Amino acid sequence: MKELNPISEFKQDPETSHENCDPVLHSSSVVTSQDSKIEEKQHNEEEQEQEEEELRRLLLPKVEDLPDTPPSAVEANFTTFLLRDFMKPGHDQYIRRHANGLCVIGLAPTHVAFKDKGGITSVDFNVGKSDRSGIKVTGKRKKNAQHFESNTALCKVCTGDASYIVRCCVKGSLLEVNERLIKQPELLNTSPEREGYIAIIMPRPADWLKAKASLLDFEQYKKSRAEP
Amino acid sequence: MADGVATAHNDDEEAHVSSATEANKDDLGFLRDAVRTLPPQILKDLLSNGVCTRCIFRLLILHEEICSRPSLSTPILSAILHELTEHEGDGANSSAGETKDLIDTEHVQDFQEEFRFCRVCLGILQFVHNDDKGMLMKKHRASDFAAAIGDAVKQDGHNFDSFSLEVSLPPIVDVNEQAVWSYIKKKYGSQPWFREKYPSESIAVKDFLKLSVTNPLEKLLDVKSNESSFRIRLTYTLSDASAMKQPIHESNGCYKRRKCKSKWLRCAVDDLHLKREQNDIDFIKNSAGLHKVERHEPSRNSSIESGDDGTGFLAFPIEKVIQCCSLNFQFYKTPIYVGGRYLKYSRNVSQTRWIIDDERMGEASIEEIVGGNILPICQGDSYKFHAAGREDIDVRMLGTGRPFLVEIQNARQFPSDELIKDIEMKINNLESKFVRVKNLKFLGSQGWELMREGEAEKQKQYAALVWISRPLNNDDVQTLSSPKDMQILQKTPIRVLHRRSPLEREKTIHWMRIERIAGSSHYFLLHLCTQAGTYIKEFVHGDLGRTHPSVGSILGCRAEILQLDVTDVKMDCFQA
Ligand SMILES: [Zn+2]
Repeated sequence: MKELNPISEFKQDPETSHENCDPVLHSSSVVTSQDSKIEEKQHNEEEQEQEEEELRRLLLPKVEDLPDTPPSAVEANFTTFLLRDFMKPGHDQYIRRHANGLCVIGLAPTHVAFKDKGGITSVDFNVGKSDRSGIKVTGKRKKNAQHFESNTALCKVCTGDASYIVRCCVKGSLLEVNERLIKQPELLNTSPEREGYIAIIMPRPADWLKAKASLLDFEQYKKSRAEP
Repeated sequence: MADGVATAHNDDEEAHVSSATEANKDDLGFLRDAVRTLPPQILKDLLSNGVCTRCIFRLLILHEEICSRPSLSTPILSAILHELTEHEGDGANSSAGETKDLIDTEHVQDFQEEFRFCRVCLGILQFVHNDDKGMLMKKHRASDFAAAIGDAVKQDGHNFDSFSLEVSLPPIVDVNEQAVWSYIKKKYGSQPWFREKYPSESIAVKDFLKLSVTNPLEKLLDVKSNESSFRIRLTYTLSDASAMKQPIHESNGCYKRRKCKSKWLRCAVDDLHLKREQNDIDFIKNSAGLHKVERHEPSRNSSIESGDDGTGFLAFPIEKVIQCCSLNFQFYKTPIYVGGRYLKYSRNVSQTRWIIDDERMGEASIEEIVGGNILPICQGDSYKFHAAGREDIDVRMLGTGRPFLVEIQNARQFPSDELIKDIEMKINNLESKFVRVKNLKFLGSQGWELMREGEAEKQKQYAALVWISRPLNNDDVQTLSSPKDMQILQKTPIRVLHRRSPLEREKTIHWMRIERIAGSSHYFLLHLCTQAGTYIKEFVHGDLGRTHPSVGSILGCRAEILQLDVTDVKMDCFQA
């Protein structure tokens, strides 16, 4: 996403400008010609036409009400927290918590790995006692999920110069790791907060409350960056 | 009066008796002839052991004769039996004078004072029961009992064109039945009558009751009885309280070998009775109506097997009954269904009532709006709402609508076509405008079949309002609309992953079509038709790449979904 710098991605931007919006034509003639999907049932034609028209009217939004840039699904559904210098300097990670309690773990834009020339070139989930990508969690009860501590290693990301351990950040069950990163490590560089996420962890509510105390929210994070 | 003697409300019983005599002189003659064919010894035995007249006729296979004459009263039946047993051996034919004797009120009165609950049927075939207020109710004739049922039906305000009668009896009645049969078999098994008419021809208490009551009830209600959706249920029960009154003597030595056969049988034995029954091989204790106690004494068992010589040392196996059953009438209809399709216009209305921690989600529900309007018109007791799938609360259901069924419990009214139209109008003109119903239909009791037919593999059509991070160009329109039946891989969305299995499913996007929105280059309407079960929101924004490909990945930019509407649920049912 070239047009957005990584930081602004985190920003919730409720402000919307309507200036550039053209007035919309709500006349049905603009669109009816296209939509000719007609039910073959014995509906009388007039009634059906009325229904189609009503459907069109209901579906078409008022353009002047639409925000220039709508909040993304990530922004709308997750709350972002950050950890700076977790275990080691420059090891900055994000935790995006969904309203349902699940936490998406990934690398913060200020993570030291992004500063290396060429960015991240490979990701290795084979850390610790087991390969994190080898565990198949199943069922509603999340059978086989491993319970990890906040400092348990999730994977190792490598750049041309060095490698860095990425950690769980919150204590909980590891539901999945992003296996796409094995074949496409560049997703970490291009979209670390979306397709480049590292893992999904399900903390117990009590553990989450404890962990939350040591996390920065987005405002605190921004501030901490401004300070040298 | 000792226990076992009933005091009943016999308000207008004399009138009954005299009117019965007028109408049934022929019946009496017929009956007397029939009774003469019965073995007097068995008759006398059963009579003296407190088996009611109808049970006797039933056990001796004269049920058809009795059940087809619902106006025969208990005193008359009783009088005939007593007369026959008293004049046993006379060999005299009946005469007009005898008939007159039979219906003599004084004579009838005698039998009433001796009234006891039948030891076999607990009074059920004497048409005696406690009503729901605990009042002892007694009818002399099947037709009177049928009239009482008929009145209750009418009071309940049901509307029906046929009925079916259901009878539920306390299990002890079955046990009594077995006991009395094995008694008769042991004692009289060698008699010619017994060998001719084996018990298999006799009918159970339940069937006798149905047989006696159905015909008069048909006449009273002026409808036929068949496998109807309108059910009249008579439930006879013995109160637990009556069982509790009986103390349980576990410590008494004589009971050590006794054994309770079933859970519902409680072992409670009264001392006095026990002394009297000391010599019994098997006996069923029925003092509170539901006690069965067995004693196993092998030595005596062998003696009875060799001693079926009809000398009568075999004691009657069932004890006196001191309390009759409570009877509860229930009238209900098997559920009826009203079906149709609904449209949901609000993004803050759930399909079904949705309460989390006592807090309502959304401002209303389709279930309540639709069901709540249909229920009163059918005059039912309650309703259930069923739909072919569901949409999220923030998703509207437009276009063709979604098929649904409202199941009405115990409807007293079958809605006419006109009434159905009225309901449709009423719902569609509600001020809230949250919901509309289409093609509303009354389905009788056949609702599910229609729904299941259409259930299999339905396609769904949606309209999504999509924003992309760069302006939409003509190539995009082409790129999105060209794939047909495109396969995608979809991991369980994060938003439901906490409660659903982590899975990766293959889904089909049958087709897509872009509708541009005048005045905006970043926004467009995406019309798409997908396999049922596809998560559309995730197909648009990609769910962190967990749904692949997605609209975003196909167009090579970020895609967000702002609104989603279902525009068609492709099922055959309720299309018109
Ligand atoms: Zn009886």
